[in-house]
Order: sequence, then C-alpha cells, then structure tokens
Amino acid sequence: MTGTTVPEREDLRRSVRDLLDRFGDDVARQDAIGSESGHSTRLWSALAEVGALSLTVPEAAGGAGYGAVEQRVVLEELGRTLAPTPFLGTVVQAATALVASGDPAAHPHLERIASGATLAALAVTEGDGRWRTAHFSTRAELDGGTWRLTGAKDLVVDGAVADLLVVAAATESGPSLFLVTSSEAVERKELRTLDLTRRIASVAFDGTPAELLGSPGDAPAVLDRVLDATMVALAAEQVGAARACLDASVAYAKDRVQFGRQIGSFQAVKHRCADMFAKVQLASAAAQEAAHSADREPDRAPADVAAAVAHSVCSEAAMFTATENIHVHGGIGFTWEHPAHLYFRRAKSSQMLLGGPAANAERLLARLGV
Amino acid sequence: MSHRLAHTEPTDLEAFAQSARDFLDASADRLEDETEVEWGAGEDRISYFGDETPEDATRLVDAARAWQKTRYAAGFGWITGPEKFGGRGLSAIHDLIYDSIEAEYDVPDTGVLSLIGLGMIGPTIVAHGSDKAKAEYLPGMYAGDLIACQLFSEPNAGSDLANVSTRAVRDGNGWRVNGQKVWTSVAQHAQVGLALCRTNPDVPKHRGITALLIDMNASGVEVRPLRQMSGGAEFNEVFLTDVWVYDSYRLGEVDGGWSVALTTLMNERASVGSEGAGPAARAISTPFLAALMGENGCLDDSHARRRLAELQADQLATSYLNRQALDHLISGGQPGPEASVSKLLYSQNITRAAHFAAEVVGPRIVADTGAWGAFSWNELLLSTPALRILGGTEDIMKNILGERVLGLPKEPGGDAATPYRELRTSRSGS
Repeated sequence: MTGTTVPEREDLRRSVRDLLDRFGDDVARQDAIGSESGHSTRLWSALAEVGALSLTVPEAAGGAGYGAVEQRVVLEELGRTLAPTPFLGTVVQAATALVASGDPAAHPHLERIASGATLAALAVTEGDGRWRTAHFSTRAELDGGTWRLTGAKDLVVDGAVADLLVVAAATESGPSLFLVTSSEAVERKELRTLDLTRRIASVAFDGTPAELLGSPGDAPAVLDRVLDATMVALAAEQVGAARACLDASVAYAKDRVQFGRQIGSFQAVKHRCADMFAKVQLASAAAQEAAHSADREPDRAPADVAAAVAHSVCSEAAMFTATENIHVHGGIGFTWEHPAHLYFRRAKSSQMLLGGPAANAERLLARLGV
Repeated sequence: MSHRLAHTEPTDLEAFAQSARDFLDASADRLEDETEVEWGAGEDRISYFGDETPEDATRLVDAARAWQKTRYAAGFGWITGPEKFGGRGLSAIHDLIYDSIEAEYDVPDTGVLSLIGLGMIGPTIVAHGSDKAKAEYLPGMYAGDLIACQLFSEPNAGSDLANVSTRAVRDGNGWRVNGQKVWTSVAQHAQVGLALCRTNPDVPKHRGITALLIDMNASGVEVRPLRQMSGGAEFNEVFLTDVWVYDSYRLGEVDGGWSVALTTLMNERASVGSEGAGPAARAISTPFLAALMGENGCLDDSHARRRLAELQADQLATSYLNRQALDHLISGGQPGPEASVSKLLYSQNITRAAHFAAEVVGPRIVADTGAWGAFSWNELLLSTPALRILGGTEDIMKNILGERVLGLPKEPGGDAATPYRELRTSRSGS
C-alpha cells in the first residue's frame, strides 16, 4: 500500500513545513486559538492544496491512496508546531470511519474532505468520556424511511466546526454509524479544553435526520479501525511535539548563561536533555513501526500490537519532554506567553483522550494475548 | 572506518545479508519466539552473568572456539579483517549486519572470543601493530585459537581511563611493566592482553600513555578472579609485577597509547539489533512474565497488569528501534546514535523487569524454598546494577549523547592540560 520513497516523503515534509512557517507560526497559532473556528482557514486550504488532506483517502474517492506512513509526515509537522487544525477529527477519525465503512455513498464526502471543502468529526464518546464501540445510549430509529438520532455525545474532537458528523448509535440491529449533515435538531457546544490547540465539543441530537453509513451493526468493526488509526496518528503527532520540546530545551541550554556558564554544560541539565533524546528516539521508532504495520496489514494484527505500543510509548515521551522542557526553561517556561505550556497541555490531552495509560495497558495486553 | 563505509552500495549489503542468512540457515536453527511457556520445565536459572563451574566454563569456551572456526571457514569469522591476514576485507557495516542476523539464530555464545578480542583488540592490532605482532596474533585470534583481553581499567582509572597508573619503563630492547588492572573480562582464558601503561608522568595524562601487548603466560602476570555482587566471577584483577615485554609488541608510538585506546574503544559497539537476544531475553518476555504472574496468582491484579504492559511496551519499542537501525544500515545508511540509546534502554528495561518479577514472586524471593522460577530471579536482580556501569557508565553515555549528538557544551575546566604527576587522585583506590 505504501507507494512513496523516503525522498518523496521528505519533499512532502518540506512543503508542509514551508506552509507551517508561513501560516502556523507563534502569532498565527495565538490568532487561531482566539478565533471562532479555532483554526486558520488559510492554513487549512494550503494543506489541502499540497495534498496533505487527501493522503489516506482512496484513489476511488479522489485521494492519493497512500497510508499511515505518508500521513505520519504531516502529523509530525502539525505536532511539532501545534498549529491548530481540524486534522484529527476530519482527516483521521471521520475519514477513517468513512473509508472503513466500505460504503460507496461515503465517496462524495471523502472527496470533499480531501479537497478541504468539508470539515468532519466522529461522535462516539458519551457521558462517561470512554471510548467504546458498542452500548451507546444514543439511539437511531427509523421513522417512515428516515433514520432519526436522539441522544448526547461528549468529547467530539472538532465537533463544533464539522459540516459532517459521523455518529455512533444503537439500533435494533446493533451499534451502527450514521451521517449527519443538516443542522436541524443538532445542538453543538464548544467545550473548555485542557489542550488550547485542539477544539472539542459536545453534540446533542433530538430526532435529528441521519443517513445510515454502511450496514446496521457495522459500528464495532469500523470503530476498531478508527481507534487504531487514531493511536497511530496521535503517535506521529506526539513524536513531532516531543522533538520540538527537545530542540527547544537544547537551544535554551546552549543560550542561557547562569553562574558564568551555559546551563547545558551542567551535567544535571545535559543529562535531562539526553533522557529527552532517548525518549524521542524510542517514540519515533514506535510511531514508525505502528505506521508501517498499519499499512502492511490494514485489516488487523500485528498492526494492533504496534499501535498500542506506540500509543503508550509516544504518550509517555510527549508528556516527559513537555514536562522537562518547562523545567529546563525555568520560570520563563511557566509563563502563559511561552509556548511550553501548550505542549504540556497537548501531551496530557492526547495521553488521556482514548482512556489513558491504564486503559491502554489493558488494550495492549489483550492484543498480546494476556 | 568512514572511508570504507562511503563506498558501500546498498545492493552489496543486501546480497551480503542474504549470504549470511544462507550460511546460518545451513548451520544453525533459528530462535523462535515462544508463545506458550511450560512452567517448571528446564533449568531453573535466570542469569545475566555466567556462574559456571570450571568444567562448564571450559566446555563453553570450547564451543565458542568451534563455532568461530566454522564461521571463519565460511567467511564470516573476520569480516573487517585485511585479506592478507585472512580477513574478508569488508566494512564495519557488514560486520554489524552479520552480528544482528546471527543474533536471530541459536548458536554458541562466542562472547569470550569476540566481545573483547575479535571485536576490539584485533582491529587495534591491525591499525597500530608491528608486522611481527600482526603475524603472530591475528591469524590465531580469528581462527578461534587465541583469546585476547583488554588490560585497560584500573582502580583509579574507570570512567577516566586516561588516568592509568600502571608503569612501563624502558629496559634494554623492551619494557618492564608494573601495576594493577581490574574488571578484566576473560583474562582467565586469555593468551594475550592489551595494556595501557604510563610511560611519561611529566606530561598531561593523555600524552604519556603507551600501549603494549602482554603475553598472559609471561612471568609476573597474575590473574585473580574478581567475584561480583551477583555471586559469580565473570571478571578478574590482573597484577603485573616486573613483566618484561619486547618493544616489537608495542602498539602505536611511545607515549601515543591514547590514540591506540581510542581505536579499541571505537570498536566497542553495542551490537545493534542483538539486545533482544541477551541472556535474560526469555525471562523478561511477555509469555514468561505472564506465566510467572499466573503461577503467583496475580494475572488479574490490575496493578501488576499495568506494570507488565508498560514493560512490554518499552521492550517492544526498543526492539523496533534496533530493527530499524539494522534496516537503516542494510539500506546503506550510516550508524546513528541508536546504539547508545539502545544501551540505556536495555539496561532500564531489564532492571524494571527484574524488580517487577521479584515483586510478583513475593516473599519467596528472599529464600530458596525450592519453588521453580522464584528464588532463581535473584541472579538477574543482582546483576542489574552492573548494566548501568559496564561498557561506559550511564552517566558517561548521557554526557556523550548530550555533547556529541545534541551539541551541548562540555564542562569547563578539567585536567587535560595538567601534568599527570600533579593530578588529584582518589583517597582510596577501589
């Protein structure tokens, strides 16, 4: 499935990096955080233009037909800069569900996601915040040939800006997925977030008209794919963020002088940076393995072991480097103005979004057969 | 080393890797990943360092020699060696690739020959030895007949290796050597040792060292086993008392021994990709630890499960890192800092696993009740402190990562310009 060479992926990295230099610097990020939509529409269009949104969309639906290996390049860069975008909700979660459903009716939506015209989100989580693939309290019922959704979803990544919602709901034939494109009987609320660079909403449905995606009862299998894709994507993002924290710490340790010497010459600081480097190397290896594994066998194992390993190792690396980066910077690292806290916020948020270390431990053991 | 690497074509490496696999397929069995553990079957031993009887030690050395002869005959015994001394004339990358592939097979452990002698001393003799020294030692070493050791560390020269105090003074057409070496692996089996000796104490420490090849059977060489905290005696102390060495066994220039030592140390590679095959690999694998938990009734304990999962995540990620490093070399890339990182991770992973296992075993870790797979964890547990010390302490490794990889500044000051004679020494020397 992987159809690119290393130099081609480096070209892709350069073009994404170039865009982020232009539309994703500290000022742009601050503007995006304060904006209504939560992201820069100019950056989003530019990402669409270089093809960053269509990498994993199948060729039949107007995409490039590549895989996680290619998408990892984009996600690392987005993680490095923490440029706020609806990439996770739209391109990773919603698009993966659309593709995994195998439903040809999803193709027009995928085309519009690939071109940047549609923003989308996946609504799975309910009141307890847990990732689940069944036992939804949100219900879908047929009403004279039209499906109608009733219930409430929490923690919907990019849910407020989404033109298209992919919603998991219970039906008489089991857990199923539905598409919601209208705003009729949909109540969305942007939530206060730990991570200031990623928007999360709650969405409530009250007899909302919806279209069935795939077949009734399909939701668990599709959502398993989405879970793995999300873990693999977060891992790539986390590697980019962890490396950014390491780079910032090393640069500061060379620049900052105390007691008449660069603080990076003190072993206490140098070893902290070496520890960060080791975490980054390990995380990068895990994210790479998870991406290759996902593309090698998109329909399960051993991708699932590598994805859970990557989610554990990369979450830890991002959290560790974000924490240590603040410490290397000292007082300045604890200010609102300095970006260090954004990485800390993103790290904790990504670590916990799918249930956190305890849940992922059980996920990994299940996949290892323990 | 680098001038040879630059001309290596990836296709050559792939063909080489394939020829190595062909040879190994024909000569040995592949190590299979164990998915089910039969608890209580086999020897109840979980060790990192050997603790053999003298008879067992001799048997293991003989097996190592036999395997070295087999792979030497097949062209894989001295991959980097000059062809005129019987080597293959290939690059260090070829060597790394072979080692990583061999780690996938069940072959005799050749560490006694290869870790120090073939891997480090041999290349040093090639680079710095006289024709006489090369002809005398190299063919025998690579044919598996001669074992070499490294007489470097001393009680007052550990991380600060250039601080050696073993004296060598001119005496006719040779040198007379007096001093003490320590932590010398395989000295009890060795026929030759490479010693760093102080020949000029009036210049800074790096500039007054000379490297000499010492006949381990010479008069005045005394090897005493050094028992380590885990109980066995893997290492030795070597006492050198008026040992006489011909000048033709000198490596490099007089007072130029530091660059000889650097050649040796540059060849000390944490073998990329083979960490997973360490002696404790089975014990810290998922199936073995899961079986241990089952035996001890904590397979459903959420705290124990979480620790197991975190251990396995880090171990698996470390194995991904090692395998990617190997793939990188096979596709023609240069060695990166992965080996240093891998060494840090390896020691952390084993240490965590040993403490985890001890906790799962519970009180039976404190005394040998005869239960299988319980008290036997002690040997691994008691070996873990060494993993952070040997082959460069964790602290020195982190300095190297910080300074050479991340470009952080060195500590200011230091003793590089002070004559050796005037340096401060530790009050007690051990």
